[in-house]
Parts: sequence; structure tokens; C-alpha cells
Amino acid sequence: MICGYCSKEIPDKVGLNSCGGCGSHCRKIHCPYCGYANPAPGKFLGRLLQPKSKKEES
Amino acid sequence: MSEELPPPRIVLVGNPNVGKSVLFNVLTGSYTTVSNYPGTSVEISKGRCRIDGRNYEVLDTPGMYSLMPITDEERVARQILLQGQPDVLLHVVDARNIERMLPMTLQMIEAGLPLILVVNILDEAERIGMKFDLPRLQQNLGIPVVGTVIKRRQGLEELHQAIAAYQGPTTAVGPYASDLEADIERLSGLLTADYSLGTRSTAILMMQKDVEVEELVRAEEGEGFAQIAPVLHAIKFARRADLNLQISLERKRLTREMLTGVLQQDENERPMFAEHLSRWAMNPISGVPLLLLVLYFGLYQFVGNFGAGTLVDFLEGSLFGKYINPAVVGFFNDLTDIYWLRELLVGEYGLWTLGFRYAIALILPIVGTFFLVFSVLEDTGYFPRLAMLVDRLFKKIGLSGRAVIPMVLGFGCDTMATMVTRTLESRRERVIATILLALAIPCSAQLGVILGLLSTVPGALSVWLLSILGIFLFIGYLSAKVMPGENPVFYMEIPPMRLPQLRNVLVKTLTRMQSYFLEILPLFLIASVILWAGKMSGVLDLVVKAFTPVVTSIGLPSEATAAFIFGFFRRDFGAAGLYDLQTAGLLSPVQLTVAAVTLTLFVPCIAQFMMMKKERGLKVAAAIFVFVSVQAFATGWALNQLLLVTGVLS
Repeated sequence: MICGYCSKEIPDKVGLNSCGGCGSHCRKIHCPYCGYANPAPGKFLGRLLQPKSKKEES
Repeated sequence: MSEELPPPRIVLVGNPNVGKSVLFNVLTGSYTTVSNYPGTSVEISKGRCRIDGRNYEVLDTPGMYSLMPITDEERVARQILLQGQPDVLLHVVDARNIERMLPMTLQMIEAGLPLILVVNILDEAERIGMKFDLPRLQQNLGIPVVGTVIKRRQGLEELHQAIAAYQGPTTAVGPYASDLEADIERLSGLLTADYSLGTRSTAILMMQKDVEVEELVRAEEGEGFAQIAPVLHAIKFARRADLNLQISLERKRLTREMLTGVLQQDENERPMFAEHLSRWAMNPISGVPLLLLVLYFGLYQFVGNFGAGTLVDFLEGSLFGKYINPAVVGFFNDLTDIYWLRELLVGEYGLWTLGFRYAIALILPIVGTFFLVFSVLEDTGYFPRLAMLVDRLFKKIGLSGRAVIPMVLGFGCDTMATMVTRTLESRRERVIATILLALAIPCSAQLGVILGLLSTVPGALSVWLLSILGIFLFIGYLSAKVMPGENPVFYMEIPPMRLPQLRNVLVKTLTRMQSYFLEILPLFLIASVILWAGKMSGVLDLVVKAFTPVVTSIGLPSEATAAFIFGFFRRDFGAAGLYDLQTAGLLSPVQLTVAAVTLTLFVPCIAQFMMMKKERGLKVAAAIFVFVSVQAFATGWALNQLLLVTGVLS
């Protein structure tokens, strides 16, 4: 996932733990670089969000 | 039996999404293994290749942005550089973003690592009019540079040749500013052990408060660290405000020098508008009018008029008011004669008539339109530019451009934004930002309702906006004075401005709406039950009676008390209560404006208060709660008096 604020790639495994793990399952991923709260889409929406280029390169 | 030497090791490094993994696959073919780096869950790919008759081991590292690690992935990547003893390090960069990626190249040259620069995705760069003189870049940097389009295997032969002919690291690139150089030399001169990153780079990382490197030096130097510690401490203290900024600016300066005469942009292909727009957004003279345009069309017209007006009128007034509500109320009334049950389901504070209706017919269309605008702005890359624009203003209130993140997120939900204040550097900044979020940043639903309601009264919105903005700046300024401290330094790498992608915008909007709705619906239902229980037991009447004198003292009718009580459960719940008051015709223009200002400034909701307690502690949270409550009603009272005396809005 690309952070909507600083445009850096958030590693997949950062997941919901990077914000300090409040455990609220708030569907947000906090960017480890800038702290911005990015929406964490579910599986279906997540697949749509993944950029084409990444799919090709990975 | 002779012991065979291990093959030389090629390590691939670079930012994410620059084609590292594609290069790894092209180099190694199918002979690869993927395993976790020891002690972590980070995966590392290993493989082998044969170049010019010689076998090599190839390692693909996780993406990294600099030698200062933030994520586990970056930590592992740096660990491989430190301990993996690479014989050749391939730094893969995206040609389109070479100016952003070259500082890391300089950092690795500075560390004396055996580097070859791979300028990949040249075809895309050329398509947007970028032309490279790579031999000149090679000359400037003093390391081999190879241009590639790896996915088409272009440049692969040249890369093979560069690897085969590689002869070892070269000297570091040009010096930084003299004062910075003096500090680096003072510290690096004290380092006596042999460091994988060299003494210069190790000293810089220690100055930048890299704890892992400092621990490494402590272990390596042993008793000698006693001499290093005071020097390091003195440098860190003297440069506490702006060291990272200065190093970043120096590396950017060197990057520009390295690219002089190397990179040319075809004037016909230049994405002129995006670049101009980016500069306009950050320049105060053009940035402020641009911001006002964004606020006018994005918030006022789209969220306020369309979302809170047209959509809510349709859902609340027509769909629910004429069809759904009468049917549901009729159904439950037919179903049961039990008074308390009817009240619980479809009464004044019923689960359906209050909880569901507020959540679906009032709040959802407003936050939906808000999140749509928010996602469009986010996807264009406008927010970092907004941070640069307001940085100077924010310094006056003890914050910096970095605080734009919690402030912007606060317009979505203040509770989550309060949590994000932890990313601010000093305690002072965190407390000031928490106060301002609790006081003067309305959440999306509250903002939408207020915009929608006030836009129907000429002049009311201007009064509301001036009041909230004035309080925001005044309280921020006072807070900065009461809590003295150094002004934070803010800098960030500005990502490219881009056209918003429809897919991104839709997915982000839908995700935010889904998340918001799932969060508020249970809370709205719980609040309905509490209010219903209060009504049935008579407690609510007592609370309303106790609170009514405060509400009437600011010129509002006693019926407005309920909206303030709602507001304590959730800001958006309170805003919905205000909507009901207005549609019932209970408020004059002055009263509507005073109520909107007071409700905006009014106490944070329960969830935000709990987050304040978690982040700032009970004492600070309680103090903010009391201060914000008093401030809200004091402002409401003063505004009411002012409007009555001047006759504005009467």
C-alpha cells in the first residue's frame, strides 16, 4: 500500500500494528514514515486498490 | 581436500517499486530460495547467477528509503549491508524519480559501500521527456552507472559487464557545509574500530540519533566510548533543532550538483501544469486563494450544499420522512401496545427513529461526500503541500506543518486524529494539537451539518468561520505562550502531484464510509438506549433541567439542551440534533449561528475524551475537557451578545 500522504510504500506486514496497536480494528493503517492514517480496505476493495504496476512487478 | 571459497555476493537495494525484484528474477532465473531473515518475519530472496564465467550469490533486500531504518524491512535491509559483506551492491533507482532517490546513493557512497547505480525504467522516463547523460552521471558520482529497462532486459548486458569489471568502492562525494563537516570530523576522528559503513557514515548516523548504530559503537569502542559520549551529546544538543533538515538539504544540494548537465527535460513533454500547481499550492500568495477555492467548492458546495442539503433532504425528508419512517413506526405500533417498548423502538429517542435515522439518513450522506472530497485531495498529493503552506502560520501557535496530519484527519474523526498527535515531535506540540482538536476542529459530519444549515442563512457561515478560526488561532497562540518551548523544525520530501485515480478515490471513500458507519452505528444505538432509559426514568429531564440555564444563558431555547447532551455522546450525534432543531423551526438566525459555534467548540465526545486520556493522561485530558467546555459557552455567550448588540444576522 502506498501512503496517501507521503507516497511511501507501507510494507504489507506493517498492517494494523504500526500505530501502536490499539486493537480497535479500526481499518486504518498508520504509515510508519509519517504517521498518516490510511484506510485499510478489506480483501475485495484492497485488490482493487493495488496498483497495476505493483501487480506486474511483483 | 581443498576448501572452496564462497562466491562473491551481489546485493540489490533500493526504494520499493523500482524493479528490484524483476532484476533479481532476471539475474537469477529460477534458482532462488525465499526465507525469513533470522529473527524476523521479513522475507529475503537468494539466488545464484553466472556472469562472465564466474558464479555469484544474489540477494534481494526489502525496499528501503535511507540508511536510517524505520520499518523492520528497512532494518533488515541495512543489516544485510552492515553484516552481509556484499561484494557488489546494485542500487536500483526509478529514472523518473532520480532526484528523490539519488540522496540514498550518496549516502551509500559516503559509507564506502561497493556500489553500482542501476537507473531503471528509462523508457517511462523518456516517454515523459527526460533525457539522461549517464556517462556524465558516472563521472560525477565516481561509481559505475548503468541505464536499464529491466522488464525488457534492456541494459542487462551492460550491467553484467559492469558487475564483472567492478573493482571496488571509490571515495566519498563532495563535502557538506563547513560547520557540519567540522562536527562530523570531530566525531568520526574518535572512532577507532573498523565499521562496515565507515567512520564518517557511522558518525553521521549517531548524530542523527540512530540508536542501533550508537549501541554498535558503544560495543565496538568499549572503554573508549567514554570519550565519544560527551562529544556526541554536545553535537546532538547543539544541533537538536535542525540536524536532520540540514543533512537532508545538503544531500539535496549534492544531488542537484551530481545531476547538473546529466538530466534534461524536453520542454514539450514537461508536465508543466502539475509542477506549476505544486508550486502554487505551497506559495502563500497563491496557496491561500487556492486553499479557499478548495474549501469553497469541496466543503461548502459539495459537502455542505450537496451532501448536507440535497442528499440529506432526499434521504431524511423524502425517503425516510415520507415512506420508510411512517411504515416502520406503523409496523411497530401495530406490533405492540407496550409503551416502553414502543418508545425504545420508534419513540422520541427510539433505536429506529433516532439511532438508525441519524446514522443512515443524516450522517452517512454527509460523511460520504466529505470522504469523497478528502480522498480526491489525498490522491492528488495536496496535503503535504498544505503542510508546507501552513507551516509558518502553525509556528505561531507552537506547531509546525507536521501537525497538518492530525488536523486534516481531525476533519474526518477527531478521536483518531488525537491518537495521531503522537507522531508530533515534542510533548508541547502534542498537547497544543490535542487542545485544538478538542476545541476547534469539527468532525466531518458535524462540519457537513453545520455547513448545510448555515448556508441557508446569509452571513451566518462567515460568522461561524471567523469565530472558529479566531478561536483556533487565539487559543493556539495562548497555548504556545503558556507552554514555552522551541519552535519545531518541519521538513518533508514532497511527493509528486498527480491526477487522482478514480479507482483509488472510490476504494478509499468506500473504505472510510464503511469504517465510519460500522463505528458510529452501534454508538448511536447505545446513545439512543441511554437517552431512552433517561427519559423513562426521568433522569434525562433532571439533566436537561440542570443544563438548561447554561444553554439559555447563551440565548438558545431550552429545547437546544438535548443537542448538547447528544453532542457529548458523539460530535456528529449533536450535530444531527441541531439539524432536528432547525428543521423544527425552533431557532432564529442568531440562535442557529450561536448554537453552531458553541456546539463546534463544545466538549469532545466520549470516545475523543478516552483517547485524550490514553494519549495525554487523565490530568491533562480532564483539564482540556473543563477548559474546552468553559471556552465553548464563554464564546457562545460573547457571540450572542455581539450579534444582538450589532444587529448582525437579526
